[in-house]
Amino acid sequence: MTQALLMRYLLWPLVKFLGAFIVVQAIVAAMNWVERRLLGLIQARLGPNRVGWHGLLQIVADPIKFLLKEDIVPSSSEKVAYFLGPMLPLIPTFMVYCLIPFGPPPMFIAARVNVALLLVLALTSTGVYGIILGGWASNNKYSLMGGLRSAAQMVSYEVPFGLSIVGVLMICGSLDLVRIVDYQANNAWNLFPQIVAFFIFFVSMNAENNRTPFDLPEAESELVAGYHTEYSAMKFAFFMLAEYSAMIVNSCLVTLLFLGGWTMAIDGKGLTTQQLVSMGVLGGIIGLAIFLTKMMFFMFVYIWFRATFPRFRFDQLMDLGWKWMIPLALGNIVVTGVFVLIGQERLMYWIGLATLGAIGFHIFRKPVPAVKAKTAHEVAHAS
Amino acid sequence: MFDVHEMEINFGPQHPSTHGVLRVLLSVDGERIINAKPVIGYLHRGTEKLFEHMAYPQCVPHTDRMDYVASATNNLGFVEAVEKLMGVTAQIPKRAQLMRVILSELQRISSHLLWLATHAIDIGAMTPFFYCFREREQILDLFENYCGARLTLNCMRIGGMPDDLPPGWLDDLEEFTGKFDAAVDEYESLLTNNRIWKRRTVGIGVISPEEAIEWGVTGPPLRGSGVNWDLRKALPYECYSELDFEVPLGINGDTYDRYLCRMAEMRQSNRILKQCIPMINATPAGDIKAKISRVVRPPEGEVYHSIESPKGELGYYIIADGKSTNAYRCHVRPPSFVNLQALPAMAKGHLVADLVALIGTIDIVLGEVDR
Amino acid sequence: MRVEHPKPRWTDRFLLLDLFEGLKTTFYELFQPKVTVRYPEERLEPADRFRGMFKFSYDRCIACKLCAQACPIDIIYIDVHDEQREVDGKMKKLKVLDRYDIDVKRCMFCALCEEACPTKPKSIWLTTKTYELASYDRNDLYFNMQELEYWDERPRYTGLPEENAPTQLEGQKMLTGGHE
Repeated sequence: MTQALLMRYLLWPLVKFLGAFIVVQAIVAAMNWVERRLLGLIQARLGPNRVGWHGLLQIVADPIKFLLKEDIVPSSSEKVAYFLGPMLPLIPTFMVYCLIPFGPPPMFIAARVNVALLLVLALTSTGVYGIILGGWASNNKYSLMGGLRSAAQMVSYEVPFGLSIVGVLMICGSLDLVRIVDYQANNAWNLFPQIVAFFIFFVSMNAENNRTPFDLPEAESELVAGYHTEYSAMKFAFFMLAEYSAMIVNSCLVTLLFLGGWTMAIDGKGLTTQQLVSMGVLGGIIGLAIFLTKMMFFMFVYIWFRATFPRFRFDQLMDLGWKWMIPLALGNIVVTGVFVLIGQERLMYWIGLATLGAIGFHIFRKPVPAVKAKTAHEVAHAS
Repeated sequence: MFDVHEMEINFGPQHPSTHGVLRVLLSVDGERIINAKPVIGYLHRGTEKLFEHMAYPQCVPHTDRMDYVASATNNLGFVEAVEKLMGVTAQIPKRAQLMRVILSELQRISSHLLWLATHAIDIGAMTPFFYCFREREQILDLFENYCGARLTLNCMRIGGMPDDLPPGWLDDLEEFTGKFDAAVDEYESLLTNNRIWKRRTVGIGVISPEEAIEWGVTGPPLRGSGVNWDLRKALPYECYSELDFEVPLGINGDTYDRYLCRMAEMRQSNRILKQCIPMINATPAGDIKAKISRVVRPPEGEVYHSIESPKGELGYYIIADGKSTNAYRCHVRPPSFVNLQALPAMAKGHLVADLVALIGTIDIVLGEVDR
Repeated sequence: MRVEHPKPRWTDRFLLLDLFEGLKTTFYELFQPKVTVRYPEERLEPADRFRGMFKFSYDRCIACKLCAQACPIDIIYIDVHDEQREVDGKMKKLKVLDRYDIDVKRCMFCALCEEACPTKPKSIWLTTKTYELASYDRNDLYFNMQELEYWDERPRYTGLPEENAPTQLEGQKMLTGGHE
């Protein structure tokens, strides 16, 4: 009996957590290569392509380099805080993996909690402490400014981040991520009725992760490297690890909340959770694949944004957060409330669809200014 | 209770966005700049003193190294000054004049491309950097085909040009000019309408026309403030008076207007290049040098001659003693150096992030500032 | 001509079209051909007039020192002595070159020496299409007359570790040129 309980509540979740951990860490390592390669391809160059086939061994080479580099500790730094800095943001992001369902339950979720969403928000918001500590403890003016920027940014964007979810909750009526996904499978993706919330969530998510156009804390051209200026070797890698892990967590969240998670169904037709569960192991794998595809799309969007946008200025960022995002999120709650009250959720779907359609129409209306550059092979004489 | 004091930051000389070795002593209150003081001299090479010990033709390669991203215009300014001193300006053949115009307009485009690349990457948009360099590379290929060097060209001689255009060069140029407008459209699609770019540049570092004239600012920063002063129009040299082009002027004198001005200037330069191709085809091949003695020994006197370099008014002041083959004194008026002195006034009250945008918008090259 | 400020419509601003415009450009570029040259597997062929490593011809040189005079940084060192020599059955006074050294590490490749050279064809020229001049020792870049004349046979840069690279000829400096 105790053995069965132990199995059910300790060992099995632990195995699942480790599985998720390993998979996510692999994705993080791969993302390093994917990001550089994609940025390269977007920017008319090739990106890392020397180590292994298409540079794929870069995934291995980078961690080895980080491990072998000299670990420099500035003599004037605050030692304890300096060491704590890179580690603090890692722990909560790792813990979040327990709560995220990567596929149809019960197989792909380490711990199903009925307030999972709240817990995820609570845990991810602690990531900022490490950055502030690290920035302050480095005893470097640029680091300090980076840390301060980061603190202000994360605290401000935590509010619209949380508020944007409320609309989803009002429609779905649950904080349990599995039930939110099921609701979407039985109706439609929350992206359509909650397009404003999706926009706010996505913007705040970029801001939370210090990604372009909100990468002020590590703005290279302004603050050299921001809060991790003084960090080297594995400590720097920890910051990177935390950043990419948080990116993955947020991509998972946006997939679960707005894009129907591992399901691929509208109005209960298609690959719903029941459908996938009934298919057994195959269904699980299909669900996982759908989920990872959606998640990777958002990771791609992160990189795409980084390649495209300039950086906001610090005060403009706060301006955007407090004067636009928060009122917009509150307005979204009110509007959603009204629609839910009069029982016209369906109408919201059409509004969302119309907005997306309008954007799509306008995007394809104007052609891209095509530049036909000479390729390397046209100018080079291969020897 | 609290001791309030400003934070002093050494912005540079080793910093990703100081365009070389500019050092700015910043006093900041939080992120707001109270005072910004540029400290220069880290790249001082004594070029002016070197000129006093060199024969005039030998100075030309040294002028390359002042504004090293726009060496053709540096060459042009120097050789024209010496020609003016010798009084042979009128003897320069038409073909040589057109070649000089083509090279300096290509150089203007390439310098502006480099400016756009670094300015955009300073503000955080990293992709225009690579697109700009893609097109700049084609310009450098043209330079390489003409004179054999890509960056430090040494492509002009006192009294004319060193070589005639190689066969097929004008076709390459025509191909480039045909494609280039689309390339500018592409950069603009990433930046001009972008609301983040606009937020970062509109209203940043405003210089009023009066202030701009008082500071002695020239080039795109001056025209961005709406002052119609382009030496190609105001004091035409070479055959610019025969060419049809317009001088883009800004409205508000902020960073965004200077950006728009330079983008428009690239299009105008391209327009000039397109006009030059049929004109140069009409001139006899090989007629590229005025008949002057190989030993350059100008008569006693002094001259100030300035041209419109990509960054502003580039002037050379030369005193000749009439006996020797080297200048008694040669002073350079570099546009970057003069434009840089507007930085403290522009930066005051802005944030640290804006300083980066401002350094970019002035478009300094430290080789020219320090000489 | 005043520059034109873009004036987007409010609908365009509302739908974030300015941002999507940039995203579209970058997405389009993702699938465009790339301009990178994968050196050293691929190499660019320098232009015909490309100013690269020097080449010197002892036979053509008439020891007039014009190149040394033209050099803006005085890195060409020439020593000459006069000699009586029989040419076409007559005794003639000839200039004989003892030393012709170029301190290539200080050279700025302005090609003024080539321009000054009065012989036809030139006895000093830079159009050798060679740009791989890097060296581990700065003294390797000081070239004397013989080295300036005979450097073609040297192996070019391959990107391989040194033990795998073709062995260099004995008694010659490592100078890697773009020669076929």
